[in-house]
Amino acid sequence: MIRFVNGSTSVLPLWQTAPLGVCSGSFSTRGACSLHPAARYFRGVAMFRLQGSKVLAVDVTGDAVKAKNGSMVAYDGQMAFKKLSGGGEGLRGMVTRRLTGEQMTVMEVRGQGTCWFADRASEINLVALRGDTLYVESSNLLATDAGLRTGTAFTGLRGASQGNGLFTTTVEGTGQAAILSDGPAVVLRVSPQYPLTVDPGAYIAHQGNVRQSFQSGVTFRTLMGEGGGEAFQIRFEGDGLVYVQPSERNTIAGDL
Amino acid sequence: MSGYASAGGPVVFDPVTLPADDNVNPYTFCVELKGSQWFLQKGKMIAYYGSIDFNGIGHGRLDRLVRTSFHSPLHASDWVVAEGSGKMLLADRAFDVNSYDLDQGNLTVRAGNLIAFQPSLALKQSIVPGFLTLIGTGKFVAASNGPVVFMEPPIRVDPQALVGWADCPSPCHHYDHAYLTGVMGGLRAMTGIGGASGEEHQFEFTGAGTVLLQSSETLMAEPSTGAVPSEPGVPGGGAAGPMGSGTGASGVPRLPGQLGDLQRRFGL
Repeated sequence: MIRFVNGSTSVLPLWQTAPLGVCSGSFSTRGACSLHPAARYFRGVAMFRLQGSKVLAVDVTGDAVKAKNGSMVAYDGQMAFKKLSGGGEGLRGMVTRRLTGEQMTVMEVRGQGTCWFADRASEINLVALRGDTLYVESSNLLATDAGLRTGTAFTGLRGASQGNGLFTTTVEGTGQAAILSDGPAVVLRVSPQYPLTVDPGAYIAHQGNVRQSFQSGVTFRTLMGEGGGEAFQIRFEGDGLVYVQPSERNTIAGDL
Repeated sequence: MSGYASAGGPVVFDPVTLPADDNVNPYTFCVELKGSQWFLQKGKMIAYYGSIDFNGIGHGRLDRLVRTSFHSPLHASDWVVAEGSGKMLLADRAFDVNSYDLDQGNLTVRAGNLIAFQPSLALKQSIVPGFLTLIGTGKFVAASNGPVVFMEPPIRVDPQALVGWADCPSPCHHYDHAYLTGVMGGLRAMTGIGGASGEEHQFEFTGAGTVLLQSSETLMAEPSTGAVPSEPGVPGGGAAGPMGSGTGASGVPRLPGQLGDLQRRFGL
């Protein structure tokens, strides 16, 4: 009498979708990529692609990529690894990161060939940036194109509710970035007619022109132990994308 | 609609493209609310579109609903009622989630695995400690570590792999007879000295029904299902039986030097 409903879904596995401008299925793409030759030769940008859902492969041709320190698992060709102090943001960035608690240890990988990255078997999600800004926690950022600028931004109460401090990392420019999540991230669109509300523990990143506001439903019931269980929420309005993971970090809101 | 479409990039969902009462991916489930209500375990909602209210079960307005479909007053504090209209995403520690339809049926599930259910189902505590029973017609969402496998009795299953069972009588314990009757085998199983296979004990199911197994032996952290009233004749109720022999689930730690069940076997 029990019916199993959803064995599998017809939805495309988004964590396995090939990134922009990559010949899907090509294992080594050091030669000319027939689909998007312009992207390879004229911009000289590192090519990000996922191999499975937990390993990121980056093809570099003389250009560089910034990645979380120690996340390289294999490489092919000639590579040089250089640790960047203070996230490669110069002295000012270094001081800011130290002050804001958004420390990240980043290395620069430069060379010819393919480099594979992974971190604790976390799921990896690719993000394409076209001149917009990605806001992500430094612990969830795996790799960025070296052409992208990274920095820190104030997040206010939203950050505090996640237990991640009051600041977050920004990535801006044009290129690709890879972010980590516990379980494949779901990408949700925020548009003026469809605002989105997210649990702080499941939020990992957002991009675009989005306003966020912090909602607290803490009432006397919460203090009585009869709260709604979702006492803190972040509301996103505007125009952009929000990445959520199918798992919740432990937050101060977790038990309220 | 938006400038952030990513052709060839990851699939982007909005309220129109999100499925209604279906999986978004194996780890995320989307529930559509149209003025209706769902019971869900605290902290399993990860995001929602629309206007949805989350209220603790102690909320006075929900009294009638709780009376008809929630019969586990002892763990009411773990559950909330979501109501409103919109689409809501549920997920649990990146475990696999699936929905199941019950049609005038009953299903018993490990308390930690149940995420959400429709109020047309009634939730009750199972007589088996740590399990909850859903009775009626409706949909519920449950998590498992790895995909769920469906088996038919008669079957013996590993205690750690059991997620739940539907329509069949409650299971009983089964011990590997040849292994446990011998003194040496018994000692090995109790102490682990000399090696124990770890498969000396199973749950046995008989009768007609379905048994749900997960494809790993990792248990999920379980919320407390609450203590049942301390009454004679209630399993796990805390009242000692006439023989003074506690059940396996009594939770009394075995003292060092105590031989446990062997003691009784030797008539000590």
